[in-house]
Amino acid sequence: MPDAMPELEEMLFELGEVASHPRRMLRQYLAAGKKVVGCMPVYTPEELAHAGGMTPMGLWGGQVTPSLAGKYNPVFTCSIMRSCLEYGMSGVYDGLGCVMMPMLCDTFRGMSAGWRAGVKAIPLVPFIHPQNRTDPGAPAFLTEEYRVVRALLEKHMHCEITDEALEKSIEVYNAHSAAMRSFASAANEHLDVITPAIRHHVFKSALFMPKEEHAARVLAIVRELRKRPTHVWKGKKVILTGITAEPEALLNVLAENGVAVTGDDLAQESRQYRTPIPEGGSPMERLPMERLARQWFDRRGCSMAHETRAARGRMLTDMAKETGADGIVVCLMRFCDVEEYDYPMIAAEAEKAGLHCLCLDIDQSTRDNGQSRTKIQSFVEMGM
Amino acid sequence: MLTMGLDIGSTACKSIILRDGEQILARSVVPLGTGTVGPRKAFGEALDLAGVARSEIDRILLTGYGRFSFDDADGQMSEVSCHARGIYFLLPSVRTVVDIGGQDVKALRLSEKGALENFVMNDKCAAGTGRFLGVMAGVMNVKTEDLGALSEGATEEVSISNTCTVFAESEVISRLSAGVRLADLTAGIHASVAKRVASLVFRGGVVRDVALSGGVALNRGVVRALARELKIDVLVHPDCQMAGAIGAALFARQQL
Repeated sequence: MPDAMPELEEMLFELGEVASHPRRMLRQYLAAGKKVVGCMPVYTPEELAHAGGMTPMGLWGGQVTPSLAGKYNPVFTCSIMRSCLEYGMSGVYDGLGCVMMPMLCDTFRGMSAGWRAGVKAIPLVPFIHPQNRTDPGAPAFLTEEYRVVRALLEKHMHCEITDEALEKSIEVYNAHSAAMRSFASAANEHLDVITPAIRHHVFKSALFMPKEEHAARVLAIVRELRKRPTHVWKGKKVILTGITAEPEALLNVLAENGVAVTGDDLAQESRQYRTPIPEGGSPMERLPMERLARQWFDRRGCSMAHETRAARGRMLTDMAKETGADGIVVCLMRFCDVEEYDYPMIAAEAEKAGLHCLCLDIDQSTRDNGQSRTKIQSFVEMGM
Repeated sequence: MLTMGLDIGSTACKSIILRDGEQILARSVVPLGTGTVGPRKAFGEALDLAGVARSEIDRILLTGYGRFSFDDADGQMSEVSCHARGIYFLLPSVRTVVDIGGQDVKALRLSEKGALENFVMNDKCAAGTGRFLGVMAGVMNVKTEDLGALSEGATEEVSISNTCTVFAESEVISRLSAGVRLADLTAGIHASVAKRVASLVFRGGVVRDVALSGGVALNRGVVRALARELKIDVLVHPDCQMAGAIGAALFARQQL
C-alpha cells in the first residue's frame, strides 16, 4: 500500500485489493482454518452458509480464455459460467468445501452437469428458484428447496444450521445491504473520489468478505465521504445495468472520457442489495427459512426473475432521473439470452424518457475494448 | 483556413483537406489499415495533392479505429461522430446513416441540424462487416472491389448464413464445391450482409432519408440488398468512403 494515504483513500485501496485478489482471500480463510463455501451468482442464499459458521465466497469467474471447460461448456455460452468451470477444473477453486449453484437460466442447467462431471473434488449444492412467482405454492416450493440446501451444507461442511443462527445471519445480511445502499447514495456526492472502478471495487469486495466486516468498512467509508464537501460533477453521468461491468478496463474507459457512474442495476453489484429479506406477517412467514425464501418474490426489475409486467426499463429511467444521469449503459453479457431479451425494452423506455441508451458487449474472455471505447467516446461527443 | 481529417480504419486509411470547412482540396484513399504504413501514406498523399506543407494545415483531426496510433495530429474524435458530420455535409437530407466499415457496423440517427441523436453498433463479430465480404471474396478468388459488379449477373440468390463469418465461409466453400455460379453466390453473400446490417439498423430505428457510408457503400450489390431489406431507398454519395475523414476535417474547423 502506498505511504501516507488519507484514511478514506486507504480504506478504498484495501477494498480494491480484496476485489482484485479473491484467490488470495480464499487462501487466507483456509489458512485460518475457516470452512469456505463457493456461491455462484446470483441470489444464492449465502445466509445459510453464514449461519452455519462458514465463510461464503462469490464465484464470478475471471479474465481467462477457457480450455478445460470446453469439454462441457460450449463456446457460445456465458463467459462467467465458462470461466468458473475452468477455474473449478483447473484447481483454482481448490479448498472450497462445496459450491451452491442456482438454476437461474438454461446455461446453469448444463453447467451443473458439467460441474458434477468435471469438478469431482468440490461437491455441488444445486437449487431452483421458481419462475412462476405468483403461484400460491411457489413460496413453499422455494422454502423446501432451501431446506434441501441447508441439509446438503450440513452434510458436506459437517456443521449445524439452526433457525436461531439463521435469524441472526439474516439481520447481518439486511444490515449489509442497507450499508451498500448508503454507499451508493453517498458516492454520488463525491464522484471525484468514487470513480467507476473504485465504486466497482467497493461492491465487488463484498463478494469475498464476511458481510459484517464488509458493512463496517463500507459504513466507515460513507462517514468519511460525508465529512468532505459535495463535489459537483461536470462530465456526463450514467446508470449501469446488466450482469457485470467487467473487466475493470471498461470502467477506466468511462473515467478517461469523463463519465461518472451514478447508479447501477448490475447483478454483481446493487441488484443484490436493493431488496431486503422481509420481516414476514404471519407467525409462519416470520420463520427464518420462510423469510429467506420470500425475498425472491419481492425482487423486481431483474432479467432472471420473471415478471408479468416488465419493470426494468422504467426502474432504470427513474434511477437516471433521480441521480441526474444522462444515459443508461447496458452492459450486455455476450450469449446471455435473458439479458438480450430485456435490451429492446430498456432502449425503448430510455428513448421515451429522452435518455441515450448505450449497449456495451461484455465478455470475460477478451481483453480488447476498442469497440466499447468508440461507443463511450461517441456518447460523450453527442451534442458537439 | 485549412484543416485535415485522417480516418485510420482497420482496412483502409482516408485523408481529406478542406478549405474553410467547405471546399475539398484533396482526398486520398490507401487500402492499408491501422498498424501499417497506410496512415502516413494517406497523410502524405493528401498534402502532395493539395500542394501544401504540414505547417500550412491549421488543424489535423484523427478518427477511425487507429485514431490513437498517429502522432502527427492535433486531436481525435470517434468515427461515429465523424461519419455523422461527414454525411450531413455530403447529403443534408439524411437522418439515418449506415456505416459499414472493415470491422464495425454502425447505424446513426441525425437531427435535422445534423447533430448525432442516437447510434447503435455491432458487437465484436465480423458478420455483416467489410471483413466478411473480404473473407468471402478471398474464398471465391475475386477482388473485394469486384463483388458489386459480379453480383449484377446473378439469376438467383444463394442463401448464406449471417450468424458467423467462419460458418458462412464453410457454407461458401460447400456451395463452390457444388458448382454454384459465382454471381449467384455473391448475390447471396450481399443479402447475408444486408440482413445482418438491417437487423442492427432496425434496433436504432429507420428515419428517412437513409444513406450508406464507408467503403462498402461502393459495392452496388450491398446497397441494393440493403435497400430491399430496409424497404427504403438508400442514398450513396460518390465520396461515401471519405465521410469519416470529411467529418474529422469539419470538426477540426469547428475547434479552431
